[in-house]
Amino acid sequence: IFMQSCEDRLDLQPEDARLTADAAFENPEAYKEFLAKIYAGISLSGQEGPAGAPDLAGLDEGFSNYLRLYWKMQQLTTDEALIAWNDGTIQDLHGQVWTSGNEFIRTMYSRLMYQVALTNEFLRQTTEGKLNERGVNADLREEIQTYRAEVRFMRALTYWHAMDLFANPPFITENDAVGAFLPPQIQRADLFDYIESELLDIEDELVAPRQNEYGRADRAAAWMVLAKLYLNAEVYTGTSRYTEVITYSNNIINAGYTIPSTPYFYSFLADNDSNGAQSEVIFTIPFDGLRTQAFGGMTFMTHAPVGGSMDPANFGINGGWFGVRTTPTFVEQFPNEANSADGRELLYTDGQTKNIADVSTFTDGYAVAKYRNVDVNGDPGSDSSGDHTDIDFPMFRLADVYLMYAEAALRGGGGSMDLARGYINEIRERAYGDTSGNISQSDLTLDFIIDERSRELYWECHRRTDLVRFNQFSNNGVWQWKGGVQQGTTTEAFRNVMPLPATDLGINTNLEQNEGYQ
Amino acid sequence: TVTDEANAMPLPGVNIIIKGTSTGASTDFDGLYSITVTEGQVLVFSYLGYETKEITFTNGSQLNVALKPDAGKLDEIVLIGYGSTTKQDATGAIEKVSDEEFNRGAIVAPQQLIAGKAAGVRVTTGGGAAGEGGEIRIRGGASLSASNSPLIVIDGLPIDQSGAAQGSANALNAINPADIEDFVVLKDASATAIYGSRASNGVILITTKKGSVNQPLKIEYGLQISTRRVANTIDVLDADQYRDLASNPGFDSSSLGNANTDWQDEIYTTGVGAIHNITVSKGYERSNFRINFNHASQEGPLQDLYERNGINASFVQRLLDNDLKLTLVTKAVQDEFSYANRGAIGAATRFDPTQSVLDNNGNFTQYGSDANLAPANPLFLLEEYDNRQTIQRLISNFNLDYNFWFLRDLTLTVNAGIDYAENDGHRFEAGNPNNPDAFALNEISSGQNRNTSLDFYLNYKKEIESINTKMDITAGHAFQEFYRSSFFDRSTNISISQRDINRNALESYFARGSFDIADKYLISANIRRDGSSRFSEDNRIGYFPGVSVGWKVMNESFMENSLFSNLKLRAGWGVQGQQEIGPNYGYQGLYTPSRNQAANIQFGTQPNGDPRFISTIRPEPYDENLKWEETTQYNVAVDFGFFNNRLSGSIDAYYRETEDLLSLVPVPAGANLTDILLTNVGQVTSKGLEISLNGVIMKEEDFGWDTNFNITFQEQEITSLSLNDDPDYFIPTGGINGGVGNNIQILKPGFDPSTFFVFRQVYDNDGNAIEGAYVDVNGDNIITEADRQAYKKATPDAFIGFTNNFRYKNLDLNFTFRGNFGNYVYNNSASENGNLNNVLNQPGYQANAHASLLDTGFGNQNLFSDLYIQRADFIRLDNISFGYTIPFEKIIFRASLTANNVFVITEYDGLDPEISNGIENNFYPRTRDIVLGLNFTF
Repeated sequence: IFMQSCEDRLDLQPEDARLTADAAFENPEAYKEFLAKIYAGISLSGQEGPAGAPDLAGLDEGFSNYLRLYWKMQQLTTDEALIAWNDGTIQDLHGQVWTSGNEFIRTMYSRLMYQVALTNEFLRQTTEGKLNERGVNADLREEIQTYRAEVRFMRALTYWHAMDLFANPPFITENDAVGAFLPPQIQRADLFDYIESELLDIEDELVAPRQNEYGRADRAAAWMVLAKLYLNAEVYTGTSRYTEVITYSNNIINAGYTIPSTPYFYSFLADNDSNGAQSEVIFTIPFDGLRTQAFGGMTFMTHAPVGGSMDPANFGINGGWFGVRTTPTFVEQFPNEANSADGRELLYTDGQTKNIADVSTFTDGYAVAKYRNVDVNGDPGSDSSGDHTDIDFPMFRLADVYLMYAEAALRGGGGSMDLARGYINEIRERAYGDTSGNISQSDLTLDFIIDERSRELYWECHRRTDLVRFNQFSNNGVWQWKGGVQQGTTTEAFRNVMPLPATDLGINTNLEQNEGYQ
Repeated sequence: TVTDEANAMPLPGVNIIIKGTSTGASTDFDGLYSITVTEGQVLVFSYLGYETKEITFTNGSQLNVALKPDAGKLDEIVLIGYGSTTKQDATGAIEKVSDEEFNRGAIVAPQQLIAGKAAGVRVTTGGGAAGEGGEIRIRGGASLSASNSPLIVIDGLPIDQSGAAQGSANALNAINPADIEDFVVLKDASATAIYGSRASNGVILITTKKGSVNQPLKIEYGLQISTRRVANTIDVLDADQYRDLASNPGFDSSSLGNANTDWQDEIYTTGVGAIHNITVSKGYERSNFRINFNHASQEGPLQDLYERNGINASFVQRLLDNDLKLTLVTKAVQDEFSYANRGAIGAATRFDPTQSVLDNNGNFTQYGSDANLAPANPLFLLEEYDNRQTIQRLISNFNLDYNFWFLRDLTLTVNAGIDYAENDGHRFEAGNPNNPDAFALNEISSGQNRNTSLDFYLNYKKEIESINTKMDITAGHAFQEFYRSSFFDRSTNISISQRDINRNALESYFARGSFDIADKYLISANIRRDGSSRFSEDNRIGYFPGVSVGWKVMNESFMENSLFSNLKLRAGWGVQGQQEIGPNYGYQGLYTPSRNQAANIQFGTQPNGDPRFISTIRPEPYDENLKWEETTQYNVAVDFGFFNNRLSGSIDAYYRETEDLLSLVPVPAGANLTDILLTNVGQVTSKGLEISLNGVIMKEEDFGWDTNFNITFQEQEITSLSLNDDPDYFIPTGGINGGVGNNIQILKPGFDPSTFFVFRQVYDNDGNAIEGAYVDVNGDNIITEADRQAYKKATPDAFIGFTNNFRYKNLDLNFTFRGNFGNYVYNNSASENGNLNNVLNQPGYQANAHASLLDTGFGNQNLFSDLYIQRADFIRLDNISFGYTIPFEKIIFRASLTANNVFVITEYDGLDPEISNGIENNFYPRTRDIVLGLNFTF
């Protein structure tokens, strides 16, 4: 008996705040809290804000944040941004000389696949069987069905990021249990089909546009990802799908979003959830200086571009991180460059040079004052220590939809060129404050669209995808320090997709490296 | 009178027993004894370190005996875990380091007593902080990510390997070094397999001092007074060299001050310390006791403080005609640490040396609010910081030995032990002085550690004369549970309060059989069955066998007239396990809630328009199939002695393979709820050769000289690291300062686990490094991380210890050298700060540079250049001690003067060549100590 009782004492379970799955879901709130974790997967980096109990262990927690990494992938690799820091291989991103050993690319990949694994776990924990087992009541069950649709949306969003960046990532669904197995690789075109079918499948289960709680995804968010898929379909599958771009853009445009009458810069302030700018926002990633703290996300996007003679107080923060600036190519997108009448040009030039002699010197290259943690009155955000910001990241907004509509129309997807021009002028009227910047039908060309997208959407995680679609990312298109030389040079076309990380190739024998990186 | 044969000095405390009875006596301070004895009875004189002598009493009232020092100590009893053996019957790789061999000095951390004393055992201190311990590696450690620290067993109680007392700089400090009788190091698998799942990194058995039978009252008072100063500082630019940088474009001369401040000189002071020991002991016929009161205080050079107050008491009682022996050993200790802000170490190497400590207003000079990433004034960091921990700890072990009256050869042993610690602490850290909006940090913390252990075993010893064999069989059961609870409440601008509770348990059965055939052939086999709560029911049980054989060649008739006075061959094999993996519930899928209010997200808005925040729960990664890490080890050895064992030694060779390594490795992306998971993957092999030599060179009445030399050669290699054996697969490791996420080492099959991973620097014709020019290894005309190469390693190929003891009349002198060879250190202080960029291109300030800037002239950080990997072979005079003993009539008085860390001979030009992970950055410099010791025995 003594021996037996000893053996039993080897069955131990946590006695602190940690819970086993069954114990955790005894609390009906747990389902929503798990849903919250999946949304937080983009904004936060772990269970303690701003850092502590990280989700990922492979890189410094602040650097491992989803939004921060996604921003770096989409922006630092382009003419819109470069960074002064000396962290690992970070400068290889702008130089387009990355290899499969790049830890930022690796951690992005890990983060994406982690997010997918989280969503799968949610779906496993909310099957009919599990809910029956736990005796979940009917009201909660119905709510959980909506959660499940949102979770599948979040998974589709992440798989889209993975497909866009890595083309052929590993593929797992809720049918793959957690363990030490080797996930199979999926080809880009197959993943395209999967994402498309998932989004179409959940369309009706999602809450109608603009009807869900702030911060959560609705039907329009799903339409947005569908529109993005179709806009880039030729890159992903070889077959263009511009008609569908028009269809889904129309769905969104008709759902009641409006370009606000507020100035452009209002969209990127601490109070951008309430200063009027929110009327065009389709899907947002909320941050809060006190309650949603991470060293990634908006904290990074606000601090990293501040340095030189910039006054941190104007940015509602305690100090700059002397990191990110932009290239002359971006500056030249605006008429009259640094003195443009275009209100979207939020450059800071005092003490900065336009040209970049040294990537590591902050004052080389114009600074960008887009994200500022102050409200419309210039008062700082809620974190009085000036570390963390209240700015919500507008992942999808109406101006992007207008530009997609116009582009699809130009590329033969149907739609009305007249409407397209009207949409573009709507966003340019906000930019100029009047009609002086309006364009005529003849101005509306694909060349105009790619530049206008940069002017409207710079530093919002679109540039890399846009340049690839316009074939301007690698073997065409030159900007300073591309290719690792000051004047810039083209690189090889295989860089349109990122390499699969060497570490994962070393473990997962199902994977084949993307072309050019073998 | 009983005297030492070598010098005719009286020997106090010699045990005298009438053979076959329990009647005994012991000698007093003049070596005198008295005992009632009848003719024909045999008197047995025994004394530790001397050969036992048997004399048959004939007649007369006085029997004078001279005992012969036992150079080889072959009869010496050695603990082996759940039992004991003698040195001559031991078949495993076992080394005993006793009291008289310990390192000298004002030592508060027990592990430092044996640094350099045993082959295959490397003790590396963590620096010069007060109360600092040291990392012990036996045969280099067998694991990658699981613990590499040996299991430590104190008087039969295994101590929690994952940290026995929270808040302490060194959990072993609970043991007063003055109480330690000896350390027994079990190195090979055949010796350690009896400890099964916790033995793969070796086992250290610590025995504390007890009283002895029939011993007169003895009172001892010892005092050690010490001073400690840092032995070296980091080479940074002095104020004039810094001013010379003004010739560089971009240098803002207006920021220069008029002072010449050596910031490192400012922060380091001379620490003083005192250790008091009062020991009372007495032995009766059936019982004895020993009680020690200890007070130690040690100041570190950063004005950090360690204080210990402890009582150690042991009681031995024999009952039932000596059939029952009860031993109680109890230690009650209060440890107090006042930690310094080590941020001051780095800040002192960076702060502008032309600034004065205080500004004109008498405040600490700071860079100011335009530079919130600038270093704070190092003295401000020390001043505006308070971090105290108080640890109260009780370690108590009750031991019962019972000889069955009906079967004399059978003994039952029961050990019940508890190690209980409670800690309380608080921490205050001022906000960043360069950021007026920054918040100060306040934290209170507390914790509890409880380790309870109960084991019992039966031992049967029998000499079977018919087959001329002695056998010794042991079998038993052990159960041990560890409970750790920790709490903190921390507030800055946000607050977080958290309690963590962890519990794990081990249940084991073990058995050992040892046979000595004809006093020539030894064979011993043992097995342990361990169950650990850290693994799922399917993987919970592990079996760990060990077998060893020995051949006492010396006892063969053909050896009679040989040169040898001892010759023994040994060989062993065994399997050991490892379950010290970190997480306790790693096989179960768990959910963790948000740990504070700052990790919430917004879902919707409240009716009043404010955001509504919701906390999150996160599913944790897990590996259902987590199982034991297994180490298989082979050991062959020879023990030898010449000249009546005045020259003796051992040579051990081992080969070790660890499989199913518990490693923190990248998981196949998507397969689990993390990117890096603790799982069983990979294999490491190591091999080594350990040579230990002891010599008694002079043994005259007035002069003695003995010496010990040990050298260890070792090699470790990762042979596999992933499931698919990709030869190019590697895992970066060894994080460094200078940018985030930078690593300088790799784990890669074919290499030592501490191998550096660097670019090969290109030099010009004059031998100067060309900045940014590296060897393009893959020939693609561009330098990327694909051109980094595995290069050198941090662990030594060989290390030595060399001790000499001299005695001339009442004077004695001893010293110990230690040395490492073939090890390299990455000078991160130089690579991070030895460049102009770190002076000029800082956000809003200018900072000092490492002096290597003057050699390299580097403009930017070149963190991965092999230039910074420097050879770090060294020989250190660890301690030298000079003592004088005066035997007064009633008191023996001894005075000694000891110096520690006297000098280091090395090529390495950084701070210190002895860095355990091979990466030197902001290392708390080791100190040079001078110690005056006074000892009174009444």
